[in-house]
Amino acid sequence: MNRLRLNNILMALVIALAFIWLFIPFVMAVLWSLVDPSQPWTADKLLPPAMSFYRWVNMWQNSSLQPALLTSYTLAPSAAILSLLLAFPTSFALGRIAFPGREVAKTLCLLPLVVPPFITAVFFTALLYRLGLTAWRPGAIIFAHAVVFLPFSIRILTVSFETVRQDHIDAARDLGAGHWARFKAAYLPALRPGIYASLLIVFIQSIEEFAIAFIVGSPDVVTIPVLLYSALGQDYVRPNAAVLSLILVIPNVFLMLFLERLLKSANPTLASGKG
Amino acid sequence: MAAINIQKLSKDFSGFKALTELSLDVREGEFLTLLGPSGCGKTTLLKIISGFIEPTKGHILLNGKDVTKVPPEARDTALCFQSYALFPHLSVRENLEFGLRQKKVPALDRKDRIADVAEKLGLGPQMDKLPNQLSGGQQQRVSLGRALVMRPSVILFDEPLSNLDAKLRDQVRLEIRRIQKDYKLTAIYVTHDQAEALAMSDRIVVLKSGQIEQVDTPERLYAAPRTGFVADFIGNANVFTGRVLPQKTPTIWRIETPIGILETGNNAGTEGAEITLCWRPENAEINDDGALGGTVTSKAFQGHFTDLMVETKGVPYRIQTSRTDVNEGDTIGFNVPGPSVILLENAQ
Ligand SMILES: Nc1ncnc2c1ncn2[C@@H]1O[C@H](COP(=O)(O)OP(=O)(O)OP(=O)(O)O)[C@@H](O)[C@H]1O
Ligand SMILES: [Mg+2]
Repeated sequence: MNRLRLNNILMALVIALAFIWLFIPFVMAVLWSLVDPSQPWTADKLLPPAMSFYRWVNMWQNSSLQPALLTSYTLAPSAAILSLLLAFPTSFALGRIAFPGREVAKTLCLLPLVVPPFITAVFFTALLYRLGLTAWRPGAIIFAHAVVFLPFSIRILTVSFETVRQDHIDAARDLGAGHWARFKAAYLPALRPGIYASLLIVFIQSIEEFAIAFIVGSPDVVTIPVLLYSALGQDYVRPNAAVLSLILVIPNVFLMLFLERLLKSANPTLASGKG
Repeated sequence: MAAINIQKLSKDFSGFKALTELSLDVREGEFLTLLGPSGCGKTTLLKIISGFIEPTKGHILLNGKDVTKVPPEARDTALCFQSYALFPHLSVRENLEFGLRQKKVPALDRKDRIADVAEKLGLGPQMDKLPNQLSGGQQQRVSLGRALVMRPSVILFDEPLSNLDAKLRDQVRLEIRRIQKDYKLTAIYVTHDQAEALAMSDRIVVLKSGQIEQVDTPERLYAAPRTGFVADFIGNANVFTGRVLPQKTPTIWRIETPIGILETGNNAGTEGAEITLCWRPENAEINDDGALGGTVTSKAFQGHFTDLMVETKGVPYRIQTSRTDVNEGDTIGFNVPGPSVILLENAQ
């Protein structure tokens, strides 16, 4: 009885928190994006006095939103894939090969994440310039994102590699499987959730990343966050910023849900059908 | 021709000798069991035969061909894993088919072989299920089937039954043996369960610290163990050291042991020699005017016999009897019949 009550209270608390942190800002963003320029939304009014899609249409047609979307949604998947490819050999070593100091190496791989992102951005881009790797700006951003978010990929994939069972590898080998068949039968099913998770996390991080994209890319390459920051900057127009942030966040929500499904289907113990 | 020749095989794991100069021939169609305590090198030997571990020294011949350097994927051996190692994302049928696909066996042929094995193992209704939808016994059968469809020259088992409960173990044990005979397979079977080894094997190899202690049929191994280790590992044995006394008659030798004097027709050697001998607990005959005697310290009723721990002058040993009228604290007399006294090599 008491326990049930406690559960209910906790549940209510969680819902309230979610409401305050997620729902309210989201609704505010939606409302702000719908404010019609004819009448400003002043603090004394609960709802905007006039609502329309004017801001959305205007942003879509008259700003650099379209090319920015294209840029962001090209750079982010590329960075996600590159990061995955870069992480693969390291994660394999960390997850499957016993060597002295392996645990230390694993921790070291996570260390870059404790540095504030802006500092990483500033110094990493400086390094890129020093190395002369900025000739092709989109490429430089992809590379920089892939490297900066590599710790996520490495960590996720290392755990995945650790879950690959040696007896599956041995069984495949004993049954005559070559390298590729062994990878497909023994490694891939165990790695799949990690691969999806790594792709998604780097994708989202890259879509939202401002500092590197700004320093390396400007003025030619404009991503959505760069656009957003400039909307927040000299000519701050709150409704426009609301439109941009929604454009940034909505696809991520869908991606999250999509990933959830993928992860479930990748795990044969949860799926009813074939994995 | 022997199916497998193992020639002076040694394996060092960074200084630790897991196997030392081990030589062994496995006959074609034979069911050979590797038996020994934990850590004696059974799995290591099996992995060397299947190709997963390269020996430090020595050679291994499969059907007369040296395969010491051949990798496992190219070796004509099939391994049944203790953990089954079924691919969780593949159905039973796909698991069975996996090896045949790797070997590029034509589709029709694959179907025939799988149908044959599925029937023999009673897997028909399970073919489209995933491994995690099967019981332990069924998974074990799929793992056996996956090895069988390959029609390997040698099939290797590493403690395949240790994850099954006792009853199922007996059943699958018989099944493995039947199928091995049906397919006339050469099988090497690893276990540390002596009952399993005795029940299944054509021959048993007793291993101790990476070396062969004795190779023989189950019957002979039980009746004539060469060392105390084998005697005690296969069945129970009371092992004693003794001194040979002057012979009673030209055909009867007398040996003084810590629990008394034993007489045997087996040649114990010259007077004064130090020897090691043993006798099986079930061979002692309880008898009030027996030549030997002791005090019962504990008693365990086992159904068809009673297990007694007996002590003579502080030396404990075991007697098994069908009599049920002996109690703790009783003083009993008994005889060990001459033929039951087994003389052992002194080295322990
Ligand atoms: N990769 C390895 N590195 C170092 N030592 C090893 C390695 N593999 C096995 N050994 C050692 O070699 C010895 C034999 O191991 P093995 O696995 O063959 O034993 P086993 O007879 O199969 O034992 P069990 O009945 O417990 O399975 C053990 O002492 C083990 O510690
Ligand atoms: Mg073992």
